[in-house]
Amino acid sequence: MTLPLPTLAEPDHFSLGEKLLFAALAAASLASFLRRFAPIVSRILHAKKDADFHLFPLGRRIWDFFWEVLCQAKVIRQRPLPGLAHALVFWAFCAFVVVTLNHCALVFGSGFLAPASAPGRAYSYFAALFALACAAGILGLFVRRFFLRPRWFGKDLSWESGLIALLIFALMVTYLAAFFAHGPLAVRSLWWAHTLTLLLFLPIIPHTKHLHLVLSPVTIFLSRGGFSRIPLLHGDEDFGLVAGKDLTQIAALQAYSCVECGRCTEHCPANNTGKTLNPKDVVLGLRAYLNALGPASEEPLLGRYNAQEAVFQCTTCGACEFQCPVGIEHLPLIVGLRRGAVNTGAWEDAHGAKFFLALEKGSNALGLPASEREKFIEKNALPLFDGTQEYCLWLGCMGGYDPRGREIVLALVKVLRYLKVSFGVLRKEKCTGDPVRRLGNDLLFQQLAESNLETLTSSKTKKIISICPHCVRTIQEDWKEFGLPPAVEHHSEFLARHLGVLKGHDFSRAESSQEGRVLQVPSLGPGKAQPSSEQKEETEKVVFHDPCYLGRYRNIYDEPRAVVSLAGELVEAPRHKERSFCCGAGGGLAFLGEEKGQRVSHARAAELAATGASVVAAACPFCNTMFRDALAAQGPGAPELVDIAQLAARGLPQNPASNQTENASA
Amino acid sequence: MKIIVAIKQVPERDAPLRIASDAKGIEERELQWAMNEPDAYALEEALQLKEKHGGEVVIVSAGPERVGATIREALAKGADRGIHIVADDLAARDALGVAQLLAAAVKPESPDLVLTGLQSEDLGLGQTGVILAELLNLPHASLILQVEISSADSPQAQIKAKRELEEGWFQSIEMPTPAVLTIQSGGNKLRYATLMGIKRAKTKELRTLDATSLGAAAAPVAVLDKITLPQKKKSTQIIPGAAKEAAATLVEKLKSEARVL
Ligand code: SF4
Ligand code: SF4
Repeated sequence: MTLPLPTLAEPDHFSLGEKLLFAALAAASLASFLRRFAPIVSRILHAKKDADFHLFPLGRRIWDFFWEVLCQAKVIRQRPLPGLAHALVFWAFCAFVVVTLNHCALVFGSGFLAPASAPGRAYSYFAALFALACAAGILGLFVRRFFLRPRWFGKDLSWESGLIALLIFALMVTYLAAFFAHGPLAVRSLWWAHTLTLLLFLPIIPHTKHLHLVLSPVTIFLSRGGFSRIPLLHGDEDFGLVAGKDLTQIAALQAYSCVECGRCTEHCPANNTGKTLNPKDVVLGLRAYLNALGPASEEPLLGRYNAQEAVFQCTTCGACEFQCPVGIEHLPLIVGLRRGAVNTGAWEDAHGAKFFLALEKGSNALGLPASEREKFIEKNALPLFDGTQEYCLWLGCMGGYDPRGREIVLALVKVLRYLKVSFGVLRKEKCTGDPVRRLGNDLLFQQLAESNLETLTSSKTKKIISICPHCVRTIQEDWKEFGLPPAVEHHSEFLARHLGVLKGHDFSRAESSQEGRVLQVPSLGPGKAQPSSEQKEETEKVVFHDPCYLGRYRNIYDEPRAVVSLAGELVEAPRHKERSFCCGAGGGLAFLGEEKGQRVSHARAAELAATGASVVAAACPFCNTMFRDALAAQGPGAPELVDIAQLAARGLPQNPASNQTENASA
Repeated sequence: MKIIVAIKQVPERDAPLRIASDAKGIEERELQWAMNEPDAYALEEALQLKEKHGGEVVIVSAGPERVGATIREALAKGADRGIHIVADDLAARDALGVAQLLAAAVKPESPDLVLTGLQSEDLGLGQTGVILAELLNLPHASLILQVEISSADSPQAQIKAKRELEEGWFQSIEMPTPAVLTIQSGGNKLRYATLMGIKRAKTKELRTLDATSLGAAAAPVAVLDKITLPQKKKSTQIIPGAAKEAAATLVEKLKSEARVL
């Protein structure tokens, strides 16, 4: 019986000349690959050891490898079409490992996958399917790079990428064509064409971005883990990334793994608003440094290959790190470079120096006298924390000193009182150190963290609640270097937990404030006022902005949305959840004066307003202050700006205890 | 060029001040301490001169043990060594008494220049630097914003100093070295403390001198009687009526009651 499908044709024998030629070419190709690859490996291995690196537990590493490398999950999820195209190429490469081994073994008469045998036939069809998919995928990627030309690929066309695409395409076509080849000459020619393409491909890998073929699986497996994990400084001579000698093995490995896909650039708020910073170039700059000067160099990293100005434009939003498909951790690099500049005093910035000096002497990032905070506490009769209450309500600099931040705190206080949850505020608080930590001032950060930890320990604080995702992150993760911080949660988590009780109330504004518009809860619980049908139609659209430090940094996406749904109809901005676009305040930038180019906050505020929502809900006092100005700049008709705590507080009945809290200002 | 910077440790600006029970000073428990700001500017000026002309910057400060931390801070910002005059009775001394201590420590160093803040943020006497100059028998100038030095290496180095006068006027003066200058805040940009500075400061010399070994304390010439908090007087008046009449009343009151018109 003849099968309707063609069979893969292979040459059945090779002459001695061919054998020798193949052996010589293969050896040359391999040698050429190694000659280029070995120095890279050596530079990585000769870099400084990562002092806080632990291989174990392996579970996370194996999972990351399976999910991100083998399944290509991140590659696909964050850019579905090109991601799928890439995954097809990748899976085809995996399938082709066996094909290629067999292909080479054939020369010496030891082919193990006879195409006519059942397993051989099965595998050849399996591989052919992948070859088809791969050819289609690479064609798609080629069209995208050379004809669609997305912005983040840069202005120059990469001919090297074109060549590689051509080679991959040729590999697949020469394989597929062998199914239809007739006559020994054609079969032999195809075999040689396939082989030569392969041998040409190999030496190109190390000097192009295709190095990621070899390195990125290792990079993903060995990544530090966590998100934006800032490594410990070790010993008395470690000030962060000052010079080549400070680059660790992981940093060097990551620098060589970048595939130049530009996903980081595409999502970078700084780069999108005309700043110098381009996260991809930060990584490639380090690679260029290593190539030119090696890992033992004393030449500063900020200079020829990376610009100081650029690294201080980063909002530490983490979009780049989240997006990177090869596991590059940008924030340890960017914050590391800042540490190197700040810890040695090389960073001279008028705003920055003033900001540091204010925190060296004072207690808060806004540079206001601490008595302002005391007045606020007194005026609003906030109870002092004495160790007996359940929660320590951490005000933070914004909550303690900024008028809008105070309103958010008071809204949360109203909710806490309504829920009869006991809480108290500390008599004294210092800045958690978030902005100085991200700006790379380790000395100041340590002083602030230690002083706060001491206050919290002596006040016997067990649980902290805060309106500020930056405080939450810094307390929970960054303070760990200096002691054991109490449990801490963001108010969105708290509010979401108490949604059931809060739902029992009518969240129309009319009840709680003098404002004119009427806001309605779509789903009213039992009790309280029933909305009239006419009110129901007026359900307001609320767009929620994910703060970077709540979303990407803490993985909290649903809780604030649940709170928003209490008060209106939730709508989403084009970029939301993990892909949320920064407000521009993070990384200490809120304190560094006017930014260059378009303001990040304006770009984001425009996107939020364009959803047609009449309310922008934020969950971070920094986002709030950035958007307040940005929305005000849009003029009349701009959506109203609230914090989710204010949404939750709106519907609550007045009770005598909270009367005093209605007035925000001190 | 050897520059000595005399520094005072004062309560942190945000510190909640309480008057001690004897009304002769403030309650020191729970206070946090910082470098007197005009002294920080004096230090900055000294560091910049050193960066330009080379030499050594030496810190002198008198006070109890806690003062060591402020000296370390100055070392961390770039000073080369420190002298701590250990004196627990600083509050009992007047400006002359403090200047005597400083002079005794400074003299054997024979510096080319002595810089100190114009005044302290706590007592604000503005005298110590000037008395110090007299005790050392050196020329001095006060309210200095910037200092330039010509031929820094020669013993005849000359100083050109920018001095702040009233109402936006400045005076440029020239004087010989050695000299004592009291520095006004705001002439330079201060530098922030760095981790590297703190680490390097650990190995720098910090010598302690016992105040009693520097000679007997002079009886204070000026004696502090008592300190009190400012009286809170409620003197805000709200003038009622329509804008026009209210304005007229206001003008009248400014003339007759406040006498500022
Ligand atoms: S963290 Fe954000 S701002 Fe910084 S480089 Fe990455 S994407 Fe850009
Ligand atoms: S750093 Fe990562 S996301 Fe950015 S270009 Fe390189 S591989 Fe792509």
